Amino acid sequence: MIDIAAVYKKVTHASERAAELPARFYRSVFRGGYPATVRQQLGAVVNNLVLHVHPTRVYHRSIKTQTTFGLGLICFYLFIIEWITGIFLMFYYEPSTGAAYGRILDLNYAITFGRVMRNSHRWAAEAMVVGVALHMCRVFYTGAYKPPREFNWVLGVSLLVLTLALSFTGYLLPWDQLSFWAVTVGTNIVSYAPVLGPKLRYVLLGGETVGSDALLRFYTLHVIAVPAVTALIVNYHIWRVIKDGGLAHPSENRGADGEPVGQPQKSDSVVTTFPKVVYLELLVFLVLMVGLLAASLLFNAPLEEEANPLTPSNPSKAPWYFLGLQELVGYSAFWGGVGVPTVLMIYLLVLPYVDRRPAGIGVWFARERVVMIGIWTLILIGILATTALGIYFRGPNWNFYWPWENWPGPH
Amino acid sequence: MERWLGIFGVALTLVLGWTLWDASQQEWEPYQEAYYREAVRLAQKGSQKEWASNLRTEIRQLQLNGHTSVERCVTCHLGYDNPAFQNFAAPLRTHSALLKSHPEERFGCVACHGGEGRAVTTLEAHGQGAVAAKPLLRGKYMQAACYNCHGANTLPPEATAGVVRGRQLVNGYFCLACHKINGEGGEEGPDLSIVGSHRTWVWIYAHTVRPQGVVSGSTMPVFSLSREEIEDITIYLMTLLDNRDRLRYLPLMAKRVVREPPAGAPAATQQREARAQRAVESRVEFRYDGKRLFNGAGCNICHTVDITGGEVGPALTYIARKRNAENLERLLKDPDEINPGGKMPQLYLNELQVRSLVGYLSVLK
Repeated sequence: MIDIAAVYKKVTHASERAAELPARFYRSVFRGGYPATVRQQLGAVVNNLVLHVHPTRVYHRSIKTQTTFGLGLICFYLFIIEWITGIFLMFYYEPSTGAAYGRILDLNYAITFGRVMRNSHRWAAEAMVVGVALHMCRVFYTGAYKPPREFNWVLGVSLLVLTLALSFTGYLLPWDQLSFWAVTVGTNIVSYAPVLGPKLRYVLLGGETVGSDALLRFYTLHVIAVPAVTALIVNYHIWRVIKDGGLAHPSENRGADGEPVGQPQKSDSVVTTFPKVVYLELLVFLVLMVGLLAASLLFNAPLEEEANPLTPSNPSKAPWYFLGLQELVGYSAFWGGVGVPTVLMIYLLVLPYVDRRPAGIGVWFARERVVMIGIWTLILIGILATTALGIYFRGPNWNFYWPWENWPGPH
Repeated sequence: MERWLGIFGVALTLVLGWTLWDASQQEWEPYQEAYYREAVRLAQKGSQKEWASNLRTEIRQLQLNGHTSVERCVTCHLGYDNPAFQNFAAPLRTHSALLKSHPEERFGCVACHGGEGRAVTTLEAHGQGAVAAKPLLRGKYMQAACYNCHGANTLPPEATAGVVRGRQLVNGYFCLACHKINGEGGEEGPDLSIVGSHRTWVWIYAHTVRPQGVVSGSTMPVFSLSREEIEDITIYLMTLLDNRDRLRYLPLMAKRVVREPPAGAPAATQQREARAQRAVESRVEFRYDGKRLFNGAGCNICHTVDITGGEVGPALTYIARKRNAENLERLLKDPDEINPGGKMPQLYLNELQVRSLVGYLSVLK
């Protein structure tokens, strides 16, 4: 005889326990329910591996759009997207001169999601170069590199160089005419350095010309060496933000006597990082993904015919972010190849150690910093002008043409 | 905040859905489905029916040269080795008898036909898409491919007549006074020794008609050549290849395979076949983007629309004011009929391509 009542009791008991499972799992991961009180919200940030790089509370001003435009965060997201799409591309890519171009065509034509992944990788890479440059300009114009953040600025400069290195090493991999001649020109710029230049180019290419060794080197640098270093420094860079006291804020400004400037600053209101900041960061991610995916579906990454070392494209242009240098090389090989980049790097690296006055921190275009802002803006205009000249106004044999003019020669 | 998260969450879901839809849109699927349907219908023996109904819809490819090169033309051109499809329209039609002496396992498709073997859309595979590829050699221009392996002496004269006549014309008109070919000739113009690897036949044709229309500032004179002469010169120039392309044409050292065609050519009446062809045509629907085809197929090398394009032929910005759709259709099918003695080349477009180009051109007014 079966005791129906006992069985019923057991079954209900078991199902109750089963129904608790999701909640149990949630508690095992997050320790406690949804953070409702301020104390719990602070804990939510401290106790979470991903979130604990944030401060627990931030100034209300810091999360306003016009304070940072989320540029650093966007660069970080783009870097993650590059990793994910890059791993997908690595499944199919083969770094040999005979197979590389065919694999790219396969990605474009036959592989499911191949085209959208390649396009995303390419557009995110271009966006990262632009994003890093804009982020740097934001940090400069808001005076956010001043003490105590000098070293984080230096880390940022190294990340700018690494971003360009990532983009440039990836440029060769499709092995089409565009990439072959762009890298040939780009590495020629390196060889203008005195004494070491040609040697440096030889080491970079594994030979005198761009060939199978160069492809293998660029591939190795692109998929493991440079990303690994970049990932480390990105972590360091983000960790330093909180260690250096969070985002730059006007309350840090001091007069010549070391006292806070003007009226005692009415303290800016403070919000807890969770949930507001976390949700904002999620929103930035969603917007970025929508834009990037839509762009990848609508616009194809450039691809020309297979690399042919015997027929140079005319004009041969370096990747667009080096066209300012190529333009300068047209006037003087030394200044374009070595002089200007070296001077610029030195300027960027010593800037926070020279310009130490605690004025204009956390404020856009502060009047006290008019000289520094002027110098920076002049340099920026110079870079933009030479780059635009190289991109839009240079035709065959590096002659000047208006963008609407037809180039002579075959098209 | 939550509202914006919601809005962009939905937006991201939509874009992801778009990505999925984009990946699921395969132009070759309708062709394969039509082929399988017809193959089952035309099968005469039970075993054939079973074979045909077990075929899967998938990308098909030939792997050549010890798997270093891949050609996916047979993804759409499925009936190439099935004699039952002799009277069907492309892409399902059976290949000509030349397939017997040029088995596809050994030669593939691109060695003779040109085009981009890895692509699986018509525009890209036929070299009419945006990616730089060689357009298919069609009609008379296929003689260049025959010549590249066989030369002029081992084939019947008509098989390479264009190449031979083209070379005679190049010599007879003193092209070598300015151009160098294989070390002989003048220095004035560019060396033509490997021009066939660098240019497409559409480009060479357009350039021969009116050099300045393609290469602005060219100092090459405009010669008044007939359409046939230009065609033959183009065919000859397409045989001048660089070493990489020449090696590509070397017959592979594989064992010669003699293949029996799949058994069971149906003894169908003409009427039945005509009906079958109509059935397939009506079911395989594909529309070309007329504007993309216009640029990809090389029309823009000669003709300007708005402000872009070449100046070999007339500008087409207002062409619909001058020619109606029917007139345009006849012109595109056979330029010589509408415009005898003109320089517009025969482009060997298929019915759908003609119609979509007409669709694009007839709104330009």
